[in-house]
Order: sequence, then C-alpha cells, then structure tokens
Amino acid sequence: MARPYDAIVIGGGHNGLVTAAYLAQAGKRVVVLERRERVGGAAVSEQVFPGFTYSVFSYVVSLLRPEIIRDLELPRHGLHVLPLESTLTPLPNGDYLAQWGDHDQSRRELYRHSPRDAEAYDEFGRLMHHLARAVRPILGMRPPDPTSLSPRDLLGLLTLGRHFRGLDRPVFHALHKLMTMSSADYLDEWFETEALKATKGASGIIGTLLGPRSPGTAYVLLHHYMGEIDGVFRAWGFARGGTGSVSEAIASAARGFGAEIRTNASVARVLLRGGRATGVVLESGDEIAAPIVVSGADPRRTFLGLVGEAHLPGEFVEDIRRFRFRGSSGKVNLALDALPNFTCLPGVGPHLRGAVSVSPSVAYLERAYDDAKYGEFSRRPYMDIVIPSMIDPGMAPPGKHVMSIFVQYCPYHLNGGWTDAKREAFGDAVIDTLARFAPNLKSIILHRQVITPADTERIAGLAEGNIFHGELTLQQLFFLRPAPAWADYRTPIAGLYQCGAGTHPGGGIMGGSGRMAARAILGARS
Amino acid sequence: MTLDAVVIGAGADGLVAAHYLARAGKRVFVLERRDGNPPWPDAGWTPPRVVRELALARHGLRTAAPDPWLAVPLPDGGRLELWRDVRKSADAIRRLSPRDAERWPAFCERMARLARLLEALYAAPPFDPLSRAPADLWRLALTGLRARRLGRQGMLDLLRLLPMPVQDLLDDWFESDVLKGAVGAAGILHLKQGPRSGGTAFGLLHHHVGSPPGVFRPPSSNLGRVLESLPGVEVRRGDRAVVARIAVRDGRVTGVVLAHGEEIAAPCVISEADPRTTLCDLLEPGWLDPDVVGAVRHVRCRGVTARVMLTLDRAPGFEVLAVAPSLDYLERAYDHAKYGRISEQPYLEARHEAGSNAGEHRVTVHAQFAPYAPADGGWDAARREALGDRGVRTLAEHVPALSDTVVSRTVLAPPDLEAAWGWPEGQPYHAELALDQVLFMRPMPQLSAYRAPVGGLYLCGPAMHPGAGIAGAAGANAAKVVLRDG
Amino acid sequence: MLKTTPFHARTAALCQGQNWRRWAGHVVASSYELQHEREYHAIRGAAALLDVSPLYKYVIRGPDAAALLDRVVTRHVARAAVGRVLYTPWCDATGKVLDDGTVARLDETTFRLTSADPNLRWLGDNAAGLDVAIADVSDTTAALALQGPTSRAILERLCDRDLAGLRYFQITPARLRGVAVTISRTGYTGDLGYEIWLDAEYALRVWDDLIEAGTPYGITPAGILALDIARIEAGLPLLEVDYVSARHALIPDQMSSPYELDLGWTVSLEKERFVGRAALAAEAARGPAWKFVGLEVAWDAIERLYANVGLAPRLPTVAWRTSVPVYTPGGEQVGYATSGCWSPLLKKYLALTHLEARWAAPGTALEMELTVEHRRRRAAARVVPKPFFDPDRKRA
Repeated sequence: MARPYDAIVIGGGHNGLVTAAYLAQAGKRVVVLERRERVGGAAVSEQVFPGFTYSVFSYVVSLLRPEIIRDLELPRHGLHVLPLESTLTPLPNGDYLAQWGDHDQSRRELYRHSPRDAEAYDEFGRLMHHLARAVRPILGMRPPDPTSLSPRDLLGLLTLGRHFRGLDRPVFHALHKLMTMSSADYLDEWFETEALKATKGASGIIGTLLGPRSPGTAYVLLHHYMGEIDGVFRAWGFARGGTGSVSEAIASAARGFGAEIRTNASVARVLLRGGRATGVVLESGDEIAAPIVVSGADPRRTFLGLVGEAHLPGEFVEDIRRFRFRGSSGKVNLALDALPNFTCLPGVGPHLRGAVSVSPSVAYLERAYDDAKYGEFSRRPYMDIVIPSMIDPGMAPPGKHVMSIFVQYCPYHLNGGWTDAKREAFGDAVIDTLARFAPNLKSIILHRQVITPADTERIAGLAEGNIFHGELTLQQLFFLRPAPAWADYRTPIAGLYQCGAGTHPGGGIMGGSGRMAARAILGARS
Repeated sequence: MTLDAVVIGAGADGLVAAHYLARAGKRVFVLERRDGNPPWPDAGWTPPRVVRELALARHGLRTAAPDPWLAVPLPDGGRLELWRDVRKSADAIRRLSPRDAERWPAFCERMARLARLLEALYAAPPFDPLSRAPADLWRLALTGLRARRLGRQGMLDLLRLLPMPVQDLLDDWFESDVLKGAVGAAGILHLKQGPRSGGTAFGLLHHHVGSPPGVFRPPSSNLGRVLESLPGVEVRRGDRAVVARIAVRDGRVTGVVLAHGEEIAAPCVISEADPRTTLCDLLEPGWLDPDVVGAVRHVRCRGVTARVMLTLDRAPGFEVLAVAPSLDYLERAYDHAKYGRISEQPYLEARHEAGSNAGEHRVTVHAQFAPYAPADGGWDAARREALGDRGVRTLAEHVPALSDTVVSRTVLAPPDLEAAWGWPEGQPYHAELALDQVLFMRPMPQLSAYRAPVGGLYLCGPAMHPGAGIAGAAGANAAKVVLRDG
Repeated sequence: MLKTTPFHARTAALCQGQNWRRWAGHVVASSYELQHEREYHAIRGAAALLDVSPLYKYVIRGPDAAALLDRVVTRHVARAAVGRVLYTPWCDATGKVLDDGTVARLDETTFRLTSADPNLRWLGDNAAGLDVAIADVSDTTAALALQGPTSRAILERLCDRDLAGLRYFQITPARLRGVAVTISRTGYTGDLGYEIWLDAEYALRVWDDLIEAGTPYGITPAGILALDIARIEAGLPLLEVDYVSARHALIPDQMSSPYELDLGWTVSLEKERFVGRAALAAEAARGPAWKFVGLEVAWDAIERLYANVGLAPRLPTVAWRTSVPVYTPGGEQVGYATSGCWSPLLKKYLALTHLEARWAAPGTALEMELTVEHRRRRAAARVVPKPFFDPDRKRA
C-alpha cells in the first residue's frame, strides 16, 4: 500500500506547484489537486483555436523569483525566457513613442519628444534601481505582525526597521513618496512627455481598480526595475511556449521530486476534525487524507468556500470579507492571418517583437478608469499587447500569428451583469480601439477569444476575476495580506496553510508565496 | 534698534511664532502685506499647549461648536442631522438604516482613538525617522508606544486606514449613501482627489482632529481676531510692509528688503509665506541647490475650492449644511476636476457664520471642485457668476426660498483666494494634505524641521507640519527651533 | 539606429576595416586604416584630423550667462575675457564630479559649453531666477580637432586670419575658405592643436578643404584608438573610464571629487557660491583621500616576467580602459589604474592611476598587475608627474 500523503495542495496554479515542488524536494509525499484538466491556473497556454497557442490569461513572466528558477532548475524542466525588449506607444496624431532595448537608441527616440526627458530617464532609472534594492528584501521576507509581541515578530520588525533606517536619506524619502503617491504625480516630477508618463504609469493600474491619478499607484513602477537588479539573470520576458510553459516547468520539477499531480480533481471542501485539517473531499465524493493541507486558491474561495465561515473565528471572517478583489482586467486573444500594420510605424519591424502599449496620455488612462468606476468597461481601454509568435514562432502556424491583448478596464461588477452580448461588446471596443492604430486589424482576425473577469473567475477560479488573488493596495499588503495576524501562510485552522497570491508577496507570476508557504510548513514543528 | 528676527506674515503661524519669540525676550518685527482684509478665515484646532502658553483663552479665544455639526438633505426631503451627542446621531441615522445606527457608536469610538494619536503627533514637531539624535529617537519611541497603546484593534485600524480610500473605509462600516457622503466629504476637503482615492481616509482622520467623537469636521475658532488683539509684538501692515527680497550673504540671511526700498536688518527671518514664494521668489536666487529648488517647485498646492459668500436677510435655517447625497456624487464632482473643469454638481458645504446680526446673516459656502486654472480659459466674471448661481440653486433645492433671501453674493475663485490671502493656487493648506506631504515629509523632507537650507531662514505656515488647518502649531514649533538654534 | 556625425560621408568612405565604435550615441571610427599606428604618429609628427562632433555642446546666452556657468562649474567664469577657453569639471551638491568639459567665452554674454555627457537638464535646473537662454547645439554644431606639429600651418593656408597670435586655450571666430567657424587652441592630445567648430551644414566642405590643404603637410584622419594613446600621454582623464559621473554612480565609492582627479587647480573656492562649494572647501581643508597620478611601469620588469615563461614582451598596441590593481611592493592593493598604454613616442608603458593619497607622491615605488600567460603577476612601477608628454610646441 502506498505511503499516505504528507501534504495536499489544493489548486495547481503556479504557487501551488511551487509549494508542492519544495515540499517534495524536502522528502514529503505531496499530491496536487487541480480542478481543471491542466495545471497552471491563470498561467496556462491553450490551443483554443487549433494550431494557435494562446497564453489565455497572464502573458509575461514578470518577477519569477530567481531563487525558484535556480532551486527547481526550471530551465532543465523546459523554462526558456525570451526577452521582451521594446515598447511602442502609438499616438493619435500618427506619431509614436518607443522605448528600445538599446540605451542609445532609446535616448535618441526620447530626445525627439523631449531633450529633458531623455536625460531625466537615466537618472530616474538610477533612483528606481536604488528603490528596487531597498524593497527587494521585503519580497522574500515573512511579514512580521506589528501588533504582536512574539519574539519572532518583534525581531522581524526590528530587522525591517533597521533595514529602512539604514537607507540613504534621499532614498528613504524617495521610497516614501513612491509608496504614497499616484503614478501620474510621481512621474510628473520627472517627465514632461505625456505618452511616456502614461506608458510607465500604466504599470500602476494593471489588475487594479484605480487610475493613474490615484495615490498608491506609483510603487508598481518598481516592477520593471525589480528585474534589473537581478543583473543579467533577467527573469523578465516572454516564456517560450507561453506562460503555460512556466507552470509546466514547475510541475515537471515537482514531479521530478516525487510529487503527484492530479487534474480533473476538484476539491469541494477541506476536512476538519477538532479544529484541525485532516484532508479534503473532492466533488466526486472521494476523500483524501493528509495532516497538512495547503490551499493555492484565493482567500475568499479558500476560507469562505472550502472551509466555511462556521469553522472560522468571526473577526477573521470579517477580515476576509473585507479583503477586496474587484477584478478589473480583461483579455482578448487573437489568431491572426498576418501581422498588424501600425500606421505610426508601417510594415514589419523590431517593434512587433516587443510590446505595444495603448496609453497615449495620462488623461486617456484616467478616462478609461472613469468608465470602470461606475460599472462600465472602458470604451477606449488601456491595452498591453504582445505578438508572441514574433518571438516564439511555435505559437502559431508559419506566417500566421497570435496576439495577446491585456486590457484595463473591464470591471467584474458590470452594470447589469456580464452576458454573452456584453462580452462581445467589450471585445468589439478593444478591437475598435486597436484598429484605430492598426487599420488592417479586423481583416486579419481568424479567431477571437474574449475573457472578462467573470470568465476568469469561472475558468481559472479567481474570485471576481482579480488576477492577483486580491487587490495589491497598501492596505492589503504585507502583514495585512490576506488578514492581520494571518499573513504568514498559516490559517486559524491547524494544519491548513495558504500559498496563493492572496498572501505576501502577492500577484504577478512570482512564485514567492508558494516558496515561502513551503518554508513555513517545513519550518513549523509538526 | 537691532532686531533679532523679522517675521514675514501676520497669519496665525506668523503671529504665534512672533509671540513665542517675544516672550523669550527676542526683538521681533512682523510684516504683513495685507491691510484692511478681514483676518484670514478658517482657524481650526489649535493645540492646547499653544493656547495655554500664549494664554489665548484669557484673551477671548472661542471655538464654535455647532450642533448639529452637519445637516445633509435627504433625497426624499428632510435632513439627516449629525449631532455632537453620538447617541443622538445614531437615532437620526436609524431612520435611514438601523444597521448603520448600530455601528455608528463603535465607528466614532474607533476613529476618535486614532484622531487622538494624530493630535499628539500634531502637537509636537515632526520626528525624523532616520535621525540618530537622542531627541528624535525618543520621539520615535514615544510615537511607537502611543501606537501600541491603541491596542491591537486600534493599531490595525491605523495601519489599514492610512493608505485607504475613504470610500472603502465607509463601505466597510455603513450602507447608507447619505451618511457615507456626509462623513466621506471630510476625506476630500481642499484635496484634488475623490473618495475612491487612497489617502482620503487619512484626510477624514485629519479633519476629525480637535473635535469630539462623532464630529467629523474640524472646529473653527476666532483665533485670528484674538492674535490680532494680543499685545507684545509690533506689526506693520500694508504697502510699506511688502517684502521684495530676503537678503543673503555668505550663506546666511542678513534681513529683508521691502518693495519700496527700505532694508531691515536681522540675523533671522521667519516666513509664513508658502515655500515656493519664500524660496523661489523672495529669497535671493542662487543659494539653493538645484535639487532643493526642484523639490520646492514640486510641492503640490492644487487649490480646488471656491468660496461663495452670501449675505441673507434672515437666518438660513441651518448651521452647517452639506450637499453630499452619496460618495459617487463626490467622486463625479472630482472627475471634472481631473480634466481641469469645474464640477457640474459641486460638493457644497454652507456654514452660517457666527456673530451674524439680525437682518444680515452671513453664509459661507465651500464649493468643491473649482480648479485654480480651468483647462479652457481662466476665471472671468461669467464663470464666477455661473458657479455662484449653481451653488445657490443647488442649495435652494434643499433650503426653500433661499434665493429670495440672498442680499449679496461674492464668489471667490481660487485665484481670488490666492490674491486675498496669499494661498498659493488658492490652497488654504498651502501644500495639499497628501500622505507624501505630511509629518516629516511636509511639505518636503528638506524643510520639515522648519529650517531652510540657508542659515537663519525658517518657515512656518500651513505648509509646515502640522499645518493644513491646525492653526498656530507650525508657528510655535518654528519658534522653538529658532530659539534652540540661538 | 545610432546617429552619424556630419562628417560621416567622408569618414565612412575612409574606414577601411569597418572599425567603428559608439560615442555619445554616434558611430565614430576607432581607426580608419587597418592599424591605428600611423594615425597616432600623425598626432605627434604631422597633423591628425579627428571628428569630435559627438561632444555635447551648449550655447548659453544672456545677461546672466556667466552667472549660470559660475553657479555650475568650479572655475571662475566671470573673470574670463572674451576669447578665453576654460577647462573645468562640474560637481553635484556633495562636491563629486558630474562631468568635465570646456567653457568658451564667445562674447560678453555668450558662452559655449562642451561636455562628454548631456547636461541640458542640469543647466536648466540651475538657471532658476536667471535671465539666460540655453540652447542645445550638439547636433547642429560639427566639430573637428586638428592636432599635431603641422596643424597651425595647415589651418593658416585656409584661414582668413593669422593664427600665430591665438594662444593656448583661446578661441577666435574665423573663416576657412569663406566658411564661418570658431577656432579654439584646445584639444585632447596635449600637443599643438586646434579644434574647429562650425555649422553642421558646412561639415563636408570644411573637411574636404582641410584634407586638400593638409595633404602636403601629412594630414591624416585619425580615430579614437590613436586619440586614446595621445590623451593618456597627455595625462587627461576620460569620463566613464577614469572616473564615474556622480550622476551614474551607484555607491559613494564610485564617485570622485575634482581633488581626487588631480583637478584641484580648477576649483575656485574664492567664488562665493557654486554647486558643491561647501563640500569642496571642506575637502580642500582636510585633503583628498585619493589622488590621480601618472604611473610608469618598469620595462625591465616587464621583460623579465615574459622571459620567465620564454616569451618576448607582448604588450597591446592599443590603449586599455580596464581597472588594473596597483600594489605596494610585495604588499596590499592601494589603488587601481583605469587607463594605460604603451607610448610609441616615449617608449614607456604608462598608466593613469588612482591611489590612496599617501602613496601618491611622485617617485613612490609601487607594483602594477600584469597578466602573463594566464597568471597574474606584478611589475615594478613608479609614480611620475602628469602629463607624461608636454612639448613646448603645445603652448608656443
């Protein structure tokens, strides 16, 4: 008879897979239970239209932790990160703003728009470098609880305090500003080119129901520079085979260490006895026992769905209810018969191997946000577009292409609710907007897949379609994520842990939560 | 006569600073360019220490305590009145939502606890979190202890509340749109943000400081008149008191030069004028490093409030009335401001001024959002009148026959407020109240200790901690720094 | 795409080995001929023609032009007469060097600043309250350097005025066969030489005229490899090679003050205020922690190290721009060389070196690292004053 399981991981998203891999590496017998027929969660590649591979939801590898890539030897398991070098921002007047991989080339392009901005860009980058280094240790840190008096938490606070007090004065103040300001205000202090501010500032609105003028959106600017401080290690880019290949690589690593992964195995609830987790019940009725259960699902699904509020302390349930999701992102995946022809840069060129950002001005982004605030999708949305087949020919048949369009804003809470007709209307708004910059677009579309937050919730299981398992606003980060006193991967149920992006360090394909949950489990005395 | 210090500006902070210096035996001379205008309005809460040390109560300091502190029209007629008695407010709220009424007392208690902490921070100079000086470490430790004394729930309240939008905070507690609108408006006063913007919960807390539990507007006092009447400090006003330049030699101030040419020598100059005016216009150019000049230029003022001053021939039937039917109403008003337009449906808060005589009742209407420089042209007479009309019309929807009782009306748009009271871009707080412009960051880190980077030059005024409606505290703190520097 | 200079049509045709490199976002020739030696010898023996257009150039004009420059640079600009050129660094508020270049006074209220890095923003940020206009003329101003013993003779064949009277670090307007230019007696070679500044639209014409007039005098287009050797012989530091701009430095140790670059002579502390003055005054009082000196590596030591492995000495013929440790004899590392070369003229192995101050006195015996057949060795070296090469004709 097979050895009983030491741990069950609910959900085969990338964080769950990371947890499983580390636990298996440490010799634990682990089983991952994934509801869908494939692992990956929101990091999946699917041939929705035959011959064409879509990265259905997430589409870039942004901050996959270098230590995870190293520890799990992901390149050996198939991870191949291709660089995304450039960003093109088409402008309504037929011009464009581009940021290239080469410094001289970028400088020359920016100089064309503003000589001052061309110089400011380097200094801005230097400051961001310092700020990214200041923030980096926090990503890998178990959040201390400032209200607790436990030695472990006090030590954590002391470490945190010493770290920040050790920063250079200008860096400390710049960090304070970055954490509290809106991306528009922050960038206004550095640059004058509207399209530059909008394109950079757009990173602050990804997955968030906030606009570039909303305070608290500036700190996400660090995202881009976080990758830079890893030096040539360069985790940022496009995964060959789509983001699904990231999940597959982690799954392969986990299996290599002996973890078992079951798909089409939907968990109905967590089994409890005497306030402890003892296993799970599948939708099929089967029960699987294990003294450790780790949930990679978002906090709402985990606690209000799989556990049930009756089994949880009242204050904790309130905190989880208050934890905000408010999905605001949509996705349009296209199979194309040919390449789009951008009016601002006609023909095929290096710009098609990078990202295209529909973000001509801060006001444009803010208006897109205004629509969503009151329950409509943006009529003229922000878009982050990549053509993966330009970098990775295997994603589409020869001569044909796939296009991935990430969209803000597409609110989960739509006036009147999401229907098929509304979904198509959203898709039309996206295509119409892009077609203004690439007029041949409609004529080359072979297939279109439109994903709204309702779809994301339904397919990938993310509450309200929030791609981060919960908003990444300051009041829901670090020791408050997902709830105070429960930000260290444990839960009020003994033996039940959480490893998804609803914990620190949050969303983006980082794997950080998965890894730290595993460490917490391995470090905890049984 | 050799002076020890010249004070530029006879507002609350300028006069308080001057009086503190005078009490310490320094020879002080105050210059105030404005003459004949009524003393600046909106003296808010003054820290008790300042009241005590300058014996302001004995000189007639009175704080208005309107009760109800706010009335808000209800969509179906009638008003929600919020009282200084928490239970009385709960009763009023019960008609809108029993659930909200149940939660009101707890909300008030928890917010009050946080406001006490903020009060303590405001009553003291800002601590420098990076400093290793014993005094700063002590203040840091004290703040930490105070925070701990909030208890676990209080600490979590604080940490969550600080970055939150006031909308999320109020949505967590209440369901009634009108109640949330009425309370939430305190989060956006004089701020170019809407209730969905981060940092506005902090704004609510800030405007709760100095008021008892359940009163979510700052108090107002007659501090202006009291300070003007306080003896002991020489003040020159008018055309012959306009400072044109702050003179510098060898990196230290040597005095001021007035517009008509007169020079007044002093080794110390304390300016109540806003930082940009002080450092970029008045200070002799070339003495500040470019990064300081840049930072001063980036201090955000962004006045968004116009004042409509009404004189009515009879009492209006309210003490303080706010038009804020919901948070979305406020958010939509903000939306216009984002694109440089005046709100089509502005947030209005009308206050019946104390001391009105029979037959001549003054009402001041706070109208938000009215940008300093509208995107499509400036503030001409037509625009002012349009705003005035809109304000009166909207109020009249809820106050029967109000229009008929208006005897006179003046609209002060942000440029007018700037001209009248020296508020940069019409911002009474000089530097907007945002999380990156408070405490040790107010208005920018290089200035937060009241010292300018030029020897002998100091700043007080609403742009300095705690500022933003906390009257006189910055002046007191600046004076203490001046005295400590010798 | 990278930018090309106004002379590219000519330089591209001459670049036999397609030996290009980047300079300030432009492509410039490392050498025109397949080897750079002849180009170097032209600098010292005839006249080399160098395209230095990638320098950044700014024209500062207005009643407060001198005031702006005096706020920014360390030298005293207001005192400079019309026609004077000053070499100067400029610093940030902590007294660390941002960049270095020249300030030329074209008339009472007009100056031209040259620099290695862009400085438009820095100039603008320092101009608060000043009545001054700053124009970036980097792309519209072409620049050539004509350096070497026959350079004056060549120019005089084209120039509408006598250049014998143009003294070292002076500038004058002139016409070269009718084209309006300014000519400064400046350069980066430490030799007799001139720099010619002109509107880009006349670039090719002036180039052709110079080649025609200069051919009998041995005029030779020269690339960066040749220039590098000459400038090391002249002891001149290069931004991002010999020092890191405070603008780009990530840690304080990467930054240098003028005193640490042997540029203390450019710091005019008697100026009431300029950016960094307070920090520089303090450093002047206590002395810099580092010094920038010349180092001469002993040839017999080099010979011996190679002989030990059965080889004749193999030193590179081009200059190097890497960081090479310098030690006390048999002891600890006390500095590092940042530029070095074999000088074909002086027949010496030279290096520009940063040393902890107490090891920097001329004559101090030290050792420089030398990798011989994959092993790191040390060769005896000696601190010598800069410049290594200082001919009379430079100032004559």
